[in-house]
Amino acid sequence: MSRSIRAIALCAAALAASFSAPGWAQPKYPHSTVTLVTHSSPGGGSDVFLRELVKYLGPTMGVNFAVENVRGGSGARAVAKVAQAPADGSMFYATTPTYIQTTLLSKPDFGYTNLDPVLIVFLDPEVVYTRADSPFKTLADAVAYARQNPGKAKWGAANPASLERIALEKLKRIAGVQAAVVSHEGGGELMINVLNGTLDIGIGEIQEIRSQLDAKQVRILATLTDKRLDRLPEVSTAKEQGIDLTVTKFRGLAGPKGVPAEIVSAWEQAMKKVLADPAYKKEYERENLIPTLMAGAKAAAFTDAFVREVTASLKEFGLIK
Amino acid sequence: MYELLWNGMVDLFQVKYMLPLLIGTVAGVFGGALPGVTITMTIIIVLPFTFGLDPLQGLAAMTGVYVGGSAGGLVTATLLGIPGTPSSVATTFDGFPMAKKGEAGRALWLGVWGSFLGGMIGGVFLIAATGPLAQFAVAFGPWEFFSLFILALSMVAGLVGASLLKGFLSGAIGLVITVLGNDPVMGQPRLTFGIQFLEGGVPFLPVLIGVFAFAQIMSDVERMGGAGKMAEAVDRAVKLTVSHLKVIWEILSRPFLLLWASFIGVVIGVLPAVGGSAANMMAYDQAKKFSRHPERFGTGTPEGIVASESANNANVGGSLVTIMAFGIPGDAVTAVMLGALTIHGIQSGPLFISQNPQIAYGIFAAYLLAHPIMALVIALGARFMLRVVTVPKAALFPVVLVLCVIGAYALSNTMSSVYILLIFGLLGYAMVKFGLPLAPLILGVILGDQIETNLIRAIMTDSDLWQFVLRPISGALLAMSVGSVILALWQHRRAEKRGATGEGERADF
Repeated sequence: MSRSIRAIALCAAALAASFSAPGWAQPKYPHSTVTLVTHSSPGGGSDVFLRELVKYLGPTMGVNFAVENVRGGSGARAVAKVAQAPADGSMFYATTPTYIQTTLLSKPDFGYTNLDPVLIVFLDPEVVYTRADSPFKTLADAVAYARQNPGKAKWGAANPASLERIALEKLKRIAGVQAAVVSHEGGGELMINVLNGTLDIGIGEIQEIRSQLDAKQVRILATLTDKRLDRLPEVSTAKEQGIDLTVTKFRGLAGPKGVPAEIVSAWEQAMKKVLADPAYKKEYERENLIPTLMAGAKAAAFTDAFVREVTASLKEFGLIK
Repeated sequence: MYELLWNGMVDLFQVKYMLPLLIGTVAGVFGGALPGVTITMTIIIVLPFTFGLDPLQGLAAMTGVYVGGSAGGLVTATLLGIPGTPSSVATTFDGFPMAKKGEAGRALWLGVWGSFLGGMIGGVFLIAATGPLAQFAVAFGPWEFFSLFILALSMVAGLVGASLLKGFLSGAIGLVITVLGNDPVMGQPRLTFGIQFLEGGVPFLPVLIGVFAFAQIMSDVERMGGAGKMAEAVDRAVKLTVSHLKVIWEILSRPFLLLWASFIGVVIGVLPAVGGSAANMMAYDQAKKFSRHPERFGTGTPEGIVASESANNANVGGSLVTIMAFGIPGDAVTAVMLGALTIHGIQSGPLFISQNPQIAYGIFAAYLLAHPIMALVIALGARFMLRVVTVPKAALFPVVLVLCVIGAYALSNTMSSVYILLIFGLLGYAMVKFGLPLAPLILGVILGDQIETNLIRAIMTDSDLWQFVLRPISGALLAMSVGSVILALWQHRRAEKRGATGEGERADF
């Protein structure tokens, strides 16, 4: 086992060396194995993001990555694990807005304040979707149904304290309708309940619904972005449908408090290279991810701004004081 | 579907998949043949070696272990009269008497070809039923999943042999374990007593390794009093060559027996909680009931060997159906396979086949190919296996134990899994001492989380609790759970009246 891992790591390192050989000699990353922790279940958004990313990042950094799914507590378990790890660059947490919401709502022992944002990598457009044989063609249809049948509409979001859940609550308020908002552990379980009609609509990222979208089992009702997506020009935004709802979801990495600056810059350099890799570019463009690389202080500033915004809307809904 | 299966076969014939399948099958056959080493232990030992492989390589190896292990037990069962695994207990009843009568080769190969043919029948079911069942399961909302998991849990009642109360107690301990840590919906700590170690909850694989490897080996060691019991003296020069056509014909000329035993194996495999160790006993029992010469059973009749061995391999096919279509492990071995899927980032459940057709059909192909490999391994290695069996347990058990601990460590690369293994190993050992069965415990651990989250989700979707009963599928599943508990109670009553007939130990659940 350990020998095979070492062999793989060596191969990866050799590969990385051969790629970067002519340029400057990149200092070797201080760990041969780095653990990336996600709160999402296998197949969920962050999980897919990490597993795709490490395919390219592994050879570039000469590191063997282990992706760990630490589920439960809406991300609290995963955050607690990383917050207590040594701040030496050996363990990171895949951030999404979920960890900020969970901290604000459930006040667990370890929250976003116990982690240092290291990178913001992508902005991830959110969409509202339904099963292919659903009567709804647009988000406006689904909202109209909820208005005519108070209390009958059932909407689903992945995690209990996720940005998507807040978005659906916001949608209820904007449209002035009643609907049950059901949370799940990860996007995979949500998908099953949208497919079998338990839920009228689901909200999520495109990469979570990719296989069902390709199999034409689900239909996108609206994108929750400012303008239409380049890859889905035929789908209108919620705004165009008269519903003023946009959702900014980010994907990045955070480490335990006090990650050294040289580790942050090693990640920034590697991520820059990986984002420019045409093969990876093809992958993330297919998923409609928008690369937005920010590192260190910039990532922290972005996170702070996000926290302020979410705190404001949670207060507005009376969910926190 | 046939095209996908064909592609799966072509995939598997690449060296990179063939090699793990071959190694897995060899490991399975040997692990199965070694008394004291169960299939569960073998697959736990193989698990960490699959982390560095691609998912299909890992699953091919594990499928090989499962198929090989289910057959491997017959080698020692027929030739030495010692069941290599609990799945081959019934094989000793007729296999060993036949071997003693000088027909060792015939006994061995009746078992091997019985396993092979039973496995193929299980395979037909596996390939034909998994897709439609998964399609059916996509229609399951949280109510149906809740009721399905309750049905699985209700099987505990049928599992417990001696004492119903002790069985329920064991299952309840399992459920309490899943409550430990932060709750799955709001992240509130429960029963953590402020101990940070407990906040992440208790993952099921280290618990399973502790209970099914550590506790099991500890009680085995105790039973043999430290010194390894030498295998009975058998004539090691015994002739094992037979006319294979004749043996296969001997099995095929009893199509009803083969089909019925395989059917029992498949059904028991599909049911969560009951595994190969129950399948071989039940099929043997049935074969005896339907036979025109029940008095010949136990004296070396071919029917006994064929029934037992075809059932335990058909059982593998059935177990794989449950895990691939519903994501519910049918026994400890598939629970480890489920863990492997998770480690490789593949979501189990009804969408598994449609989202990962290459892996799903690869597993089918691995299952089918593992059978001829198994027959080949036994043909070449049977004599060698008889020597391996004489390895003293005092040397064997520590090695197995260390490998299991390494496996637990490799799960998360943290010592916390090892501590959990040790704590639950000791708990399991204490439970064995108090006569509590272990299978209900592990079932509780596997199902507890799922029951809870689906219950909460169902109530969030619709506050009307009658939905659980009024939705047809959910209602039917709940009715079946009630029925299965009542049936078990009734059987238990009847058995008590008849006097303690003591059922075979089901260590391998």
